[in-house]
Amino acid sequence: MNFWFAVLRQMGRNLRQTWASQLMTLLTVSLSVLIFAFFYLIYTNMLNAGDKLGDDLRLIIYLEDEPGPEMKEQLRRKITDFDQVQDIKFISKAEAHDRFAKQLGQNKDVLEDMPADFLPASVEVVPLKTLRNLNRVKLFSEYLSKLPGTLKVQYGQEWVERFFYFTRLLSIVVILSGSLLILTTVFMVAYTIRLTIMGRQAELELLRLVGATNDYIRTPFMLEGLMQGLFGSTFGLVSLFALYQWIKIRFSGPGILNLFNFTFFAPQTLVLIIIASILLCTVGSYMSMQKFLRI
Amino acid sequence: MTEMNAPSQPTIVELIKVSKHYPPDVTALADVSLTVETGEMFFLIGKSGAGKTTLLKLICNMETPSNGLIEVAGQNIHGLKGKKLARLRQKIGVAYQDFKLLTDRTVAENIAISMEVSYKKPPVISKRVKDLLAQLELSDKHDAITGELSRGEQQRVTLARAVANSPTLILVDEPTGNLDSSTTEKVMNLLNKCNSSGATIIIATHDDSLYRHTDHRIMELCRGKIRRVNGGVQV
Ligand SMILES: Nc1ncnc2c1ncn2[C@@H]1O[C@H](COP(=O)(O)OP(=O)(O)OP(=O)(O)O)[C@@H](O)[C@H]1O
Ligand SMILES: [Mg+2]
Repeated sequence: MNFWFAVLRQMGRNLRQTWASQLMTLLTVSLSVLIFAFFYLIYTNMLNAGDKLGDDLRLIIYLEDEPGPEMKEQLRRKITDFDQVQDIKFISKAEAHDRFAKQLGQNKDVLEDMPADFLPASVEVVPLKTLRNLNRVKLFSEYLSKLPGTLKVQYGQEWVERFFYFTRLLSIVVILSGSLLILTTVFMVAYTIRLTIMGRQAELELLRLVGATNDYIRTPFMLEGLMQGLFGSTFGLVSLFALYQWIKIRFSGPGILNLFNFTFFAPQTLVLIIIASILLCTVGSYMSMQKFLRI
Repeated sequence: MTEMNAPSQPTIVELIKVSKHYPPDVTALADVSLTVETGEMFFLIGKSGAGKTTLLKLICNMETPSNGLIEVAGQNIHGLKGKKLARLRQKIGVAYQDFKLLTDRTVAENIAISMEVSYKKPPVISKRVKDLLAQLELSDKHDAITGELSRGEQQRVTLARAVANSPTLILVDEPTGNLDSSTTEKVMNLLNKCNSSGATIIIATHDDSLYRHTDHRIMELCRGKIRRVNGGVQV
């Protein structure tokens, strides 16, 4: 009889004796993986969307007057005084008019009654990619609005701000649900294994007396934790995938999901979540054993 | 009994000035020195409370001595840990006075345990179990729940578990306390058989019918001290 046969037989006995609490633990692990993965999925998608938004981020400074070459030079200098930027682009009144007309497309005849210079001249500033966090952009915008000859600075303030706050809130939720995941997996698994150990103290004691090695006694419990992690997390992720599919079918067509180009986890992320759960559960069972097996 | 170690060492158990105190002030054993030769059958007798069980527990490392040195198969058993200790224990079969049976398991499962931990193959185990049960007149109890057996039956199951894995050293604590004379004879036959195939056996008992006509060595304990040693070579 080899080692693994013995381990599996012992695991079978454990399962037969405590299947109810094992099942409870499995469900708890699945549920916490599901909750964590749910928020994490939203979070990663928000980050992706944020990246895309960030790509388009630019500050637009509306000017009182069409700047002359000297003025342009001065503005350019003042802007780069504050921060390095990726690009500065001057848009004259005429250019603004043309652009707007292009955007209007077929409806451009509404512009006909308007004077050609009714749109203000502006400067488009594209900040460096690395310097695009919200506070920085805010400061930049404040600085720019104080430059002489500036009417107004715009970067989609409200939108960007809301988006960043939401992402930050979500990151807190992710951290919380992640902690929940760690707590439930480690402690629930530790608890069920403790229950098993308590219920079989006499047998474990006897096993040691008749010469069972520590591995012989310990491995079934480790394996039990490992299984809880593997099956619990897989089950949780499969549920999340089902949920994802359901939402996708249910809310197909134009909507917030399409706006964000909502995607499921990459295979690497899935594997990572499963491995993390397995590790956590094994740690849980190990903790229990160190405490109650005294080996 | 296929894998008995050849008696490579002349002495299998060696106790040097061993004492055991239990808190607060019980002295179960005081300065006991003893040598048991490989292949011997050795009787340990003495009144109740003399320290017989304590001595056996020290030899199989269930208890640690307060003083002195105990060597089993040439190894200081109380200095062993982990795998080495486990291996040595697989070679020591113990029939405990309080049985230590798993009362919610079947008789067969209880006997199998000592073989399972050394990874014997299932067919080998089941054959050995049936064989032992037949020798101890328990064949009909193969699948009985151990907790529902009588004391005398449980006593024999304990013995069967102790000898099942063909250990080189067998410690038997009061093997016949609950048995009639014909069953006692069956038990002694089994022990003799183990002994003649090479196992060293130490039997603690106050049943004088076991050792009255024996020419094996007998050691009498009295309040934790050796009172006398009969037969064989004097210590
Ligand atoms: N765990 C313990 N704690 C305290 N005292 C103990 C313990 N075990 C044994 N003793 C004491 O040690 C002494 C020797 O006990 P032991 O069990 O070795 O006697 P014994 O010779 O086996 O007796 P019996 O023939 O009744 O089985 C007794 O006085 C007993 O009360
Ligand atoms: Mg005793």
